[in-house]
Amino acid sequence: MSAAASESQDIETVTTAVSTNPGRRGQPDNKTRRYDRQLRLWAATGQAALESSRILVIGASATSTSILKNLVLPGIGHFTILDHHSVTPEDAGNNFFLEGPKSIGKRRADEAVRLLAELNDSVEGRADHRNVEEVLNSNPQYFLEFNVVIAHNMQPALVDKLAKYLWSEPSHPIMMVVRSAGFVSEFFIQFHEHSIIESHSETTPSLRIDKPFPELHAHAMSIDFEKMDPTEHAHVPYVVILVSALEDWKKSHGGNPPKTYAEKQQFKKRIQGMRRKPDEENFEEAEAQAYRAWTETTVPSEISALFKDSGLSSLTPSSPPFFQLLSALQKFTQESPHTLPLTSTLPDMRSDTKSYIHLQTLYKRQAEEEKAKFKSLISEDVRETIGDEMIDLFVKNAHALVVMRGREWGSFDQDRAALAMDPSGKETAKLATHLAFSALSSLTLQHQTPTVAALKAEVERIAGTDVELPEEQLDAAVGEVARAPTADLPNMAAFLGGMVAQETIKMITRQYVPQKGYLVIDMVDMWTGAVGA
Amino acid sequence: MSVAVNGNASSSGWQGQYYHIDQVLDRPGPRTDPSFLAGDGVKDFLRNQCKILVIGAGGLGCEILANLALSGFKDIHVIDMDTIDISNLNRQFLFRPKDVGNPKATVAAEFVMNRVPGVKVTPYYGKIQDKDEDYYMQFNLVICGLDSVEARRWINATLVNMVDPENPESLKPLIDGGTEGFKGQARVILPTITSCYECSLDMLNKQTAFPICTIANTPRLPEHCIEWASVLEWPRVFKDKKMDTDDPEHINWLYNTASKRAKEFNIEGVTWSLTQGVVKNIIPAIASTNAIIAASCCNEAFKIATSSAAYLNNYFMLIGTEGVYSYTFEHEKRDDCPVCGGQTMDITISRDWTVDRLIEMLVERQDIQIKKPSLSTPTKQIYFQAPPQLEEATRPNLEKKLSELVDDGGEMTVTATSLPFSLSIRVKYT
Ligand SMILES: [Zn+2]
Repeated sequence: MSAAASESQDIETVTTAVSTNPGRRGQPDNKTRRYDRQLRLWAATGQAALESSRILVIGASATSTSILKNLVLPGIGHFTILDHHSVTPEDAGNNFFLEGPKSIGKRRADEAVRLLAELNDSVEGRADHRNVEEVLNSNPQYFLEFNVVIAHNMQPALVDKLAKYLWSEPSHPIMMVVRSAGFVSEFFIQFHEHSIIESHSETTPSLRIDKPFPELHAHAMSIDFEKMDPTEHAHVPYVVILVSALEDWKKSHGGNPPKTYAEKQQFKKRIQGMRRKPDEENFEEAEAQAYRAWTETTVPSEISALFKDSGLSSLTPSSPPFFQLLSALQKFTQESPHTLPLTSTLPDMRSDTKSYIHLQTLYKRQAEEEKAKFKSLISEDVRETIGDEMIDLFVKNAHALVVMRGREWGSFDQDRAALAMDPSGKETAKLATHLAFSALSSLTLQHQTPTVAALKAEVERIAGTDVELPEEQLDAAVGEVARAPTADLPNMAAFLGGMVAQETIKMITRQYVPQKGYLVIDMVDMWTGAVGA
Repeated sequence: MSVAVNGNASSSGWQGQYYHIDQVLDRPGPRTDPSFLAGDGVKDFLRNQCKILVIGAGGLGCEILANLALSGFKDIHVIDMDTIDISNLNRQFLFRPKDVGNPKATVAAEFVMNRVPGVKVTPYYGKIQDKDEDYYMQFNLVICGLDSVEARRWINATLVNMVDPENPESLKPLIDGGTEGFKGQARVILPTITSCYECSLDMLNKQTAFPICTIANTPRLPEHCIEWASVLEWPRVFKDKKMDTDDPEHINWLYNTASKRAKEFNIEGVTWSLTQGVVKNIIPAIASTNAIIAASCCNEAFKIATSSAAYLNNYFMLIGTEGVYSYTFEHEKRDDCPVCGGQTMDITISRDWTVDRLIEMLVERQDIQIKKPSLSTPTKQIYFQAPPQLEEATRPNLEKKLSELVDDGGEMTVTATSLPFSLSIRVKYT
């Protein structure tokens, strides 16, 4: 704690030093420098979310400490390790966050917390020596102090009980269940609903070339290609060329854009014909981007699907901000021109500075106008509680919003129909591996030795007769589990450490898109795959 | 959990140390090759004989060293030419704020030896190019966790060149990992047998290069203003003084200069962070992706060293932005690979091309990417980048048409001082 205070003081000193020197405005403080490489992925908003998060990890196994390492380094707010065990010689051999023989016999939670906390002074770490079973029985509310609860190779009965409790209320923490045995593993994220504004999707929003807003239309119409000098002509942005060419086309085609393949080719020919010289790159770009002229700008199907989400149909003033905004978005799209609010981000294109900046200004102005209209569709008090920053982000990312609905831990295994649906062709290996883990858990519960025969019988019992798993793949999965049922291999621990931390970061920051269902990992043949999504 | 297993405790080890790992070394799995000799033999090789080299002690390197040590590799060497920077601390977990400024290789080696008793890690603070073939010959395996394309090409070519068909020991498996944000890849290269690093050069993301005329005359993006400051203004104002992108004063000057230009052209978005990102070509990097890729690399090293499971054939790709997506495939060897292919590469160019234009192409082409190429035929020196006298003597050729110097179907050798191999090309004219 004291170390954390000294770091924040450091940052303050640095910041003050910066502000007194006008020549150095904008220069980053120590914290920004430390986190520079990750801020380029999730920015200050994601970082703030991480810094206010509280994570509980049950049991300081090698996998658990690997996961925590990758959460402490980027700077979560707090972590607790709940573990009543002492370090065994076996633990000391595979866990980097224990000090070999020196740690043997000491409390595992203490040792792991001490060595993990070293990684980042601004993270608070706590060791809790109580038995998870006792806590679960006597004081389950304890788990509600956290945002995420992570359990690796936890006793199956306790996993089920804890998962059930955490699932009982949608506001309860997210749970990550991780199971590994030698070269194979899987993890599952239990959550009710997860909405994402900043999905960092690679799809780009429409530039509305087919439905130009009045100022864009007027600007394109004002361009007289004939009268331009050669340099100007070679620098007209492709957006303007396309709007102009489309307008022209529509005049001779009953107001319609190019529709058939032949018409589209003809339209491209026209653009070629507008060139003065064969090497005008702006016209080359216009030709390459011609599809934008005949692709109708509508609400993308992924987004209109969200308008049918249960979060909207059950909307109340106390619903989460995301759904308040989604409701406003739906209203927005119901009015002409039946599109999402315009984006103000214009891609780079061949142009001179003046023409480009002018075009950018037109887009920005229109985007501001549409954002104002969007805001007017949100009630005053809701708008105040949400704040402008989130509204701006929402509008900017309206084309890539995501709502995910998860399922309860264990429900997939009881869904015979879903199990039977899942496997097809090569995909069966991941289902076989998942079922091998379910079988291992179930045998552990019955205090039976996980032999190949016992595991196979158990897989059959769980999956029923409708699931047809090729013998070869079932043998491969079950055999690998039976080979090393309690092995927490350093490389698998490190691999899972990266994967589970990455998905936890996505859940906490609400950026990027997390994995649904079980993610199954096989480090013999090096593959990963999802089942039960 | 507490069952003691008959691990072969060496002097520094303890009963139970390898409880976890021995589960996969004491018996085969269903897919394990029959040649796997479960038990003491394989443990002895891994723990007492195998010598492994780790190139790079940065984001991947720190993870690799820790994983190898815990997996039972006991004789590990590590090379890195860098010192520790504050921006490393969000992922390079063997370093602490007190280590800033010290060599990565040395600090990492010390840390791992303290944390994992019985492991010897030998650091070398310097360049891979400082070492010769005799040095590389001593290892059984090489793992590469580098961010430099140039260094990877160098080690790849060196290991391919070292292969002597008469001596199986001369073939050193190379495991290479790389990350960028939530994405990464790990691959196994068996020099001369599988596709090599050079074979897959065209898979690299092309760096965004802005045309000089845009930077000079028609800036539109903040990046254009930053490039103007670094590429055109810096040399104009400071002449021969070299720009150091690690010097905050230099970045500050670039930031202010770019800001002024942006203001002049009404361009928004020049920030300190963007300036630094553009001039240093910063690639986002996080602990979690590094952990996944390093674990993949070490898992392959472990499988190769022990035969406890088949190794990767030969490329693993990971994309973690939307769920977890990975793809494993066999990258194919290229017959005209200048390092492992042996065949001459055919290129077809216009009869009007000057030597200068050809050089531009050799720099640009995704599957060639030779930065400062020197050209010669068996009888002529066409252009040499160094030494200065030779450069001066061959410089007039730059303006000449290649077709005046090399006949149609004629062969040329392309070399560069940064690369330990040469490229043979056959020229055809259109
Ligand atoms: Zn090759």
